[in-house]
Amino acid sequence: MVSKKHISITVNGEVKETEVEPRMLLAHFLREVAGLTGTHIGCDTTNCGACTVIMDGKAVKSCTILAVQANGKKILTIEGLSKGREKLHPVQQSFVDKHGLQCGYCTSGMILTSYWLLKNRKNVTEEEIRAAISGNLCRCTGYDNIVESIKDASKKMEEEGDPIEEHPEIKVRA
Amino acid sequence: MNPPIFEYFAPTGIDEVIDILAKYPGEAKILAGGQSLIPLLKSRISSIPYLVSLSEVKGLSYVDEGKEGVRIGAMTVDSDLENSELIRKRFPLLHDATGQLADPLVRNVGTIGGNLSHADPANDLPAVMIALDARFAVRGRNGSREINARDFFLDTFTTAMEPEEVLTEVTIPFWGKKSGGAYVKFKKNTWNFSVAAVAVQLELEGNKCTRAHIATTSVSPKSGRMESAENILVGKALTDEVINKAASEVAASAQPTTDPYGTEEYKREILRRITREAIRKALSRAGVN
Amino acid sequence: MELSEKLVRGEGRFVDDIQMPGMLYLGFARSQYARAKILKITGAQLTHREVNFEVVEVGEGATEGGPAALSHPVLAGEYVGYVGQPIAAVYSDDRYVAEDLIDSVEVEYEPLKAIVDPEESLKREGMYPGIKSNAIVDRYFGKDFNPDPSDIVVERRLINRRVATNPIEPRGIVAAYDGHKLTVWVSTQSAHSIKEGLSEALKMEPDRIRVVQVDTGGAFGLKGGLFPEYVVACYLAMKEKRPVKWIETRREHLLASRPGRGVVANLRLYAKKDGTITGLKGDVIVDNGAFTGGSGEFSPMFIARQLAGAYKLPNAYVRAVSALTNKAPQGPYRGAGRPEAMYFIERLMDGLADKLKMDPVELRLINAAKETYTSPLGMQVEKSREFLESAIKELNYEKYKGRENVGFAFLILYHATAGGESARIKVEEGRLKVWTGGNAHGQRHDIFIKTLLKEELGVPEDLVDAMKGDTDQLADGVGAWGSRSSMVLSSAVIVAARKIKEQVEKKHGKYTLKALLEGNWDEYEFFKYDKTESSLGANLVTADIDSYGRVMVKECLSYYDAGRVLDPDNARGQNAGGAVQGIGQTLSEELSFDEDGLPLITSISDAGVLSADLVPKFGIKFYKSESPLPSKAKGLGEAPTIGVPIALSRAIELATGKLILETPIRPEYILPEERA
Repeated sequence: MVSKKHISITVNGEVKETEVEPRMLLAHFLREVAGLTGTHIGCDTTNCGACTVIMDGKAVKSCTILAVQANGKKILTIEGLSKGREKLHPVQQSFVDKHGLQCGYCTSGMILTSYWLLKNRKNVTEEEIRAAISGNLCRCTGYDNIVESIKDASKKMEEEGDPIEEHPEIKVRA
Repeated sequence: MNPPIFEYFAPTGIDEVIDILAKYPGEAKILAGGQSLIPLLKSRISSIPYLVSLSEVKGLSYVDEGKEGVRIGAMTVDSDLENSELIRKRFPLLHDATGQLADPLVRNVGTIGGNLSHADPANDLPAVMIALDARFAVRGRNGSREINARDFFLDTFTTAMEPEEVLTEVTIPFWGKKSGGAYVKFKKNTWNFSVAAVAVQLELEGNKCTRAHIATTSVSPKSGRMESAENILVGKALTDEVINKAASEVAASAQPTTDPYGTEEYKREILRRITREAIRKALSRAGVN
Repeated sequence: MELSEKLVRGEGRFVDDIQMPGMLYLGFARSQYARAKILKITGAQLTHREVNFEVVEVGEGATEGGPAALSHPVLAGEYVGYVGQPIAAVYSDDRYVAEDLIDSVEVEYEPLKAIVDPEESLKREGMYPGIKSNAIVDRYFGKDFNPDPSDIVVERRLINRRVATNPIEPRGIVAAYDGHKLTVWVSTQSAHSIKEGLSEALKMEPDRIRVVQVDTGGAFGLKGGLFPEYVVACYLAMKEKRPVKWIETRREHLLASRPGRGVVANLRLYAKKDGTITGLKGDVIVDNGAFTGGSGEFSPMFIARQLAGAYKLPNAYVRAVSALTNKAPQGPYRGAGRPEAMYFIERLMDGLADKLKMDPVELRLINAAKETYTSPLGMQVEKSREFLESAIKELNYEKYKGRENVGFAFLILYHATAGGESARIKVEEGRLKVWTGGNAHGQRHDIFIKTLLKEELGVPEDLVDAMKGDTDQLADGVGAWGSRSSMVLSSAVIVAARKIKEQVEKKHGKYTLKALLEGNWDEYEFFKYDKTESSLGANLVTADIDSYGRVMVKECLSYYDAGRVLDPDNARGQNAGGAVQGIGQTLSEELSFDEDGLPLITSISDAGVLSADLVPKFGIKFYKSESPLPSKAKGLGEAPTIGVPIALSRAIELATGKLILETPIRPEYILPEERA
C-alpha cells in the first residue's frame, strides 16, 4: 500500500491541509477535497486548459500537476477571483458583458489565463491575446467574443484596478 | 484518465534524491515539472513505481551569465527562458524554441531539465542544446560529471545518464562574435508535436562559415547532429546553392517515418524547407545577408 | 443568479460536480480490436451476462430510422465491432481505483479481419453471422433519367471524413435509485430522449424514471442520445442501490462516442452549356460503424434528399447507402447530414463553373430556384434567387470576384422543426420558472426566453428563471438540435405565455403584470409543428497559403436568413463557433484509422480542434425576413458548419490550383511545389 502524503496548499487564501495519495491530480484535489468544482477537466493530454488555475502567480494546467507537487504553494481558482465580494472581478464582468461564454465549461480556465495575461501585459494586442489563450480550447464561441471580453477586461483592470490586490495572500505577481 | 499508483518522494537535498534513485535502480524516476511525465502516467502506457520530485530542492532554478557561457538550473521553467533577455540576446535559437514549446500554460511548469532528461526526440530542447553545443552537469553518487549534449541522447527516452544520476545544470557556451542561430518548427494545426523542426547554429569569419551545428526534432529516433550537412557548410561562403545542398542533405539523412503527422516523403520535404529557412535566419542573425 | 454570472464564478453545476454519499465510480474495459470474437473475460465486475440490454435508438433522426436490427449491445456479447466498444464494467468508490480495475480486466480475443472502408464493406462478407449484406440502408431517391448527350458532365468523388464532436465537457451521468424510482442527472440536449431511451433499454415504466439535465458543457449533436455507458450506470445504481457516476475520458470520447461526417459521394452533375443544371446522378455512402443506434440508418437518406441544394434541379437519381464498418457508430454532429449534402452539391457547382469558365457565383445565380418547388429528391427547395442576389451585394462579392483565393458557398439549411417542442411556465411567489423540452448546451436559450417573456408578459428579465431539463417538471419534450430551438422552442414559450395571459385576463378582467406576479399560474404547451422549415445562407471565405502549404483563413463572412434574430450577440457567437468548427473540418479535424481499424487519434489536439491563434475574426450579416412561426425566428446554429467548409475548400482550390475533394485537406496534398 502506498503511503499518503501530508500536504498544505493555500487555496484562495485559505490553507488546506490534508493527506492525499501521491497520484492525486491537483485538479481533483481542488474539485473533490477543497470542494471547488469551478475547475473543470476536459481532456487527459494537457491540451484543453479547462483545468487552468493560478499557481504561485502563473497560469498552469492543474490536471498535469500532482497535488503533492503543489505542497506549500498558493493557488487561485475561479472561485477566488471574486471571493467574499458580491461584485464580479473585472475579468469575470467582461466575460458576462461581452458574451465571452456559451456553455461555460471552458470559461473558468479562459478567465484565469486571461487574468494571468492581463497581470503581465498592459495594452495587450489581439495577437498577444490569441497566443496567450492558445492552450485553452473553446468549442462554442469561435473565440471572437472571448477575445473581445479580454480586451474589455484589459480596460476595466486599468480603470478599476484589480480587487484581488486587496487580498495579498491570493495576489498574482506579474 | 489518472495515474496508476506510485510512491512519491520529495527530498530537500540533491544527495537524498540520488540516494533514493540508487535505492530503486530502474524503478525510480525524477519528476521535474511533469509536463511530459504526468501525461505519460495518465495514459497508463507505462507505470513508474517510485517518483522522486525535485520540487523541494532549492536552488535549481536560475539563468546566470558567466565568463564562458550561460548557466541554466535544471528546474528553470520554459517560460523563464522564454522571457529571459539574456537568452533572447545571446541565444536567439533557444529563444525561438522556448516561445514555441507546447502552449503558454505548459511553459509555466515544464522545465529545461525535464524536457532534456525525457529524451523524447519530438521535444524541442534536445536539438536546440545539441546545436548550441551545450554541456549538461549530471550528479550521481560519485559527484558531478559533465556530458556534452551531443553525447547525451542515446535513443528515444534513453540518455547517457546512469539510473541514479540527475541532470542539475545546463551550460551553453558563448559562440564567436560573428555567430547566430535559429530554430524553425513546422507544426500541423493543433497537433501536439511538430512534423519536423530544426536547430541551426553557425559561426563565421568574414563570409566563410567556420562552424556549423545542425540538429533536428521529430524526424529521428534520437536527437543528434547532422554532420554530413554541417560539413557542406563549413569552410564555405553560404551561397544559396550551398544552403540548398545542406538542406537537402539534412532531409536525406534524417529518418522520418510515416504516421498521422505525415508521410515520410512529406516530412523530408518539410525538413528540407525549414532547414533552408533556419540557415538563412541564422546567417542573418550572424550579421550576414 | 443569472446563468452567465454563475458560470463566470465557477458556480455552474456540471455532471462531474455532483457528489453523493456512497457514490460508485463506473469504468469500462473496452475492446482493443476493431473486430474480434470474444473468447474469455476475466477480472470484470459486470459483463454481457448480467447486463444484457440493447441500446435503443433515440435522439435526432429517430423518426426516420430503419429497423434496429443491429442494436448496440450495452456490453459486448460474442463479438466486438470497434476499438473502444465497452466489453465489461468495473466500479469502486474511488475514481482512481475504478481505473486500476479497468487495467485488471483481461479479455481473450480471436481477432477477425477488420472492415474499415465503407465502400469495400459493401463487397465484403457480412460483418456478423447471419448478415448477408453490410448495407444497412440501400435506397434510391428520385427517378432515373437519360441525360441529354450534349450536356456537360462534372463527375466528382467527394469525401467528408469522420470528425469527433469534441464538446469540451465529455459525456457523463449520475444515476441514483430509491427502490422505486430511478433518477439520473445527465449532460444532455434532451432529458426526454434520455428518459425514453432508458425506459426502452431497461424495460422500465417511464413514470419510474426521472431525468434531470445539469449544466451541459457543449454537445454539438452528441448528447441527444442514449449511450451504452448510461444504461450500465443505471443498472448498477439499481443493483447496488447506490448512486453511480460515469464520466467519459477524452480518450474514450475519441474512441467510442459517436463521431459525425464519414460520408463518401460519387456524383455526376449534368448541365447545359449555358450553365443551367439538368440533372444529378450517383451515390452517397455513409460510414455507419459497427452497430445501429447512431444516425447511420437515417443520414444517407437525409443527405440524398438535400442534394438539390438551393437550386432548381429538374432530374435526379441518387442511391443512399449506409455500410457497416468496424468503427464506433456514426452519430449526429453539428449539421448532421446538412453539411455533407451541401458540400457535395456546392463542390460540383464550383467544378461546373470551372468547366464552363464561368464565375461560380454567376453559375449559382443562374440556377437558384426562382420559385419554391419540391426537388426530385423529395425536399422542398425554397425560392432562393432573391436571397442570393442580396447575398452577393451584402457580402460585397463584386470586390472579390476573380480573385485567386476566394470561395463562396450558397446553402439551404433545413431546420428540424418537425415534431414541435414543449414549454411550461409556472408563476409562483412573484417569479417565473420556465422549462422547455429542448435543453440548451451552449446556445443560451435562457437569454431569448427572457426577451420573449418580457415582450409577451412585460416581466422583467430578473424575475425569470430558465430551468434545466427535468422530466418530472415537463410532461413531454423533444430536444435541442437541428437549428430548431429559436423556432419551435421559442414558439412553445410564446404560446404558453399567451395562455397564461388569457388566464390572468379571465380572472381579473384584464392583464396586468401585478396580477400575474401575485397569482399562481401554471401553463404547459406542446407546440405542435409538422413541417420542416428551411432558410438560406451564404458564406464568403478568403485564404492564403504559405510556402509550406499552411492555410491562413483571412476573412470568413456569413450572410444568413435567421428570420427575426432573437439575440444578436448570441447569434454572432453561434456563427463564430460554427465557423471555427467548419474551418476545423476543412483543415485539421479527422478521426483517422489504420488498415486494421485501429484509431490513430488519441488527443483532442490531434483530433484537430482549433485554438484561438489559428482562426480569424468572423463577420455576420442578417437577411431580413420572418418565419411563419410565432417567434418569427429561423435557426442558424448549423449554417456555418455547412457553408464554411465549402467556401474555404474553394478558396484553397484556387490558391493552390489543386482540386479539393476531401475534408480535411491533407497538408501533404497542398504543399506547393518548388522548382529546382
